[in-house]
Amino acid sequence: MSLDLTRVRVECGEVTAVEHLGSGVYEITARLPHLAATVAPGEFAQIRCGAGPIPLLRRPFSVAWSEADTCSFVFDVVGVGTSLLAHLEPGDELDCLGPLGSGFSLDAAGKRVVCVSGGLGCAPFPILARALRSHGVEDIIVLNGAASAARLYPAERFQHGDGAIRVLEATDDGSAGHHGLVTELVAGVLDGAGALFACGPNPMLAALASVLDAQPSRRRPQTMEASLEAPMGCGFGTCLGCALPVRSDGGRAYQPTKSAISRGPGKWALCCTDGPVMAMNAVDWTALLELPGADVA
Amino acid sequence: MNEMGSLDMSVDLGRGLVLANPVGLASGTAGYGFEFAQLIDLERAGALYTKGTTRTARDGNPPPRVAEVEAGMLNSIGLQNPGVDWVAEQYAPQFARWRIPVIVNVAGATVDDYVFCVRRLDGVAGIAGVELNISCPNIAHGLDYGRDPDAAARLITAVRSATERHVMVKLSPNVTDIAAVARAAENAGADSVSAVNTYVGTKVHRASGRPVLPQGTGGLSGPAIHALALAAVAEVSAALRIPVVGVGGIVDAATALDFLTVGAAAVQVGTANFVDPGTALRVLEGLTARRAEPELVEPARAMS
Repeated sequence: MSLDLTRVRVECGEVTAVEHLGSGVYEITARLPHLAATVAPGEFAQIRCGAGPIPLLRRPFSVAWSEADTCSFVFDVVGVGTSLLAHLEPGDELDCLGPLGSGFSLDAAGKRVVCVSGGLGCAPFPILARALRSHGVEDIIVLNGAASAARLYPAERFQHGDGAIRVLEATDDGSAGHHGLVTELVAGVLDGAGALFACGPNPMLAALASVLDAQPSRRRPQTMEASLEAPMGCGFGTCLGCALPVRSDGGRAYQPTKSAISRGPGKWALCCTDGPVMAMNAVDWTALLELPGADVA
Repeated sequence: MNEMGSLDMSVDLGRGLVLANPVGLASGTAGYGFEFAQLIDLERAGALYTKGTTRTARDGNPPPRVAEVEAGMLNSIGLQNPGVDWVAEQYAPQFARWRIPVIVNVAGATVDDYVFCVRRLDGVAGIAGVELNISCPNIAHGLDYGRDPDAAARLITAVRSATERHVMVKLSPNVTDIAAVARAAENAGADSVSAVNTYVGTKVHRASGRPVLPQGTGGLSGPAIHALALAAVAEVSAALRIPVVGVGGIVDAATALDFLTVGAAAVQVGTANFVDPGTALRVLEGLTARRAEPELVEPARAMS
């Protein structure tokens, strides 16, 4: 049984800041010493929104940043849970379960890394970029796309003053950076990249997979990983709610090495424990987009 | 008090199945225990009821498989499980090392399926009993045995002759007369019943007008069903001589005690496990604290 949940704790910590970054995008910071000490880039926490039965389930959020005994999470207000989070104030309590999931592969990144962020997919990249730098990565390009300038996560929050982390922006409406999709910037920055890490809505990640597939193999980074999302029940591999379709073909197909002992063979991976970070070539992107209800989840 | 100086919370469900305490983890909310064994002191709980297990492995339903509703959730996992052979060969040896009794939830489409599974598990070390899932709302034919007392009786009679182990029957609330199915189960040789499984529910995706779950419906669980489940358990308890295990919407000791008060001998904590993996143990601590207060009525006797 190699699935490791031994670091997972329920931790309630004091909120130290709730920042409205613009156009519905928030960043919340709380004192969560255990999570701050144990989280790896790409891992997430299940956050309780309010203390009552509505909403019932925790919400998964990638840890965006950790510093000393605090952790930060980025979110936008999409429903009752995130609305409750947005109304928290310093001094209120934040109830977290984590760290959960499997994060990005830091050791196979090479010297140059491309990060591709779509919308709230920005969340894992600040903490990832810092970790990559301490793993010897010399040059990080963050491609940051959003609907509009007001929805772009601020470049300085990826960089934290580190000039080796460059940010190229794209907006759907052209209000900042490249006018168009962030995936359109990818082909132009692949040269010499040892790794590509992506996070965003699943359709954006599927589009990115197509862009990468269309590249000559020598231009494709050795490591290509994406952080996915799925409606989640528990977040720790038990409810089997967050199934993602994985490829069963080819030599580099999905290898069920983690939670598989608890589930046996199957054609699904679990977003919560096999992911949220998956090797891009392990995901069946076509099936993911064709799932009944994929557009309504 | 027993010799160890701790309160005796044990529950004898019959045919050799004695739980150290009444608080179990409900089927479908604790997998096969391997995650919870890392998250909590699982062996302190009274019982582990496994994920529904079938004759052959099942991939389960296409996602999305879960949808949140007011004070509850819908699930349509579709019995994703590794199959009974895998459970007997790969998991049971671990179950045998745990102090907690493991009761394997068994599901099927035919009497043969159930009998095959129960026979495969009979005599396997680490399996304390079976819970017959005659009430899964998420697979074709999953509810047939749960809705018809005669069909339930035929199934349970066949299963009864296939195992010496404890046979618990998990009742569906999606019936007109739950007591009739419960009586049929008792008369056919069930040692206990658990009530209730999830209620059939739907969530509409308002922008598209389509159901959120691709199967159209899912099983509703969580605090939303607590009052419904209590009524069902009260009715079933009044109708049966065999023990009843109450399940549905338990979030704390008070909501668990409600089931004991209306006649349940034990309880299962389900969906609340997802919100806080420690819920079952907190419920146990709360029930233990109440039992230790002499002025409190023994819950099991409160109804008599």
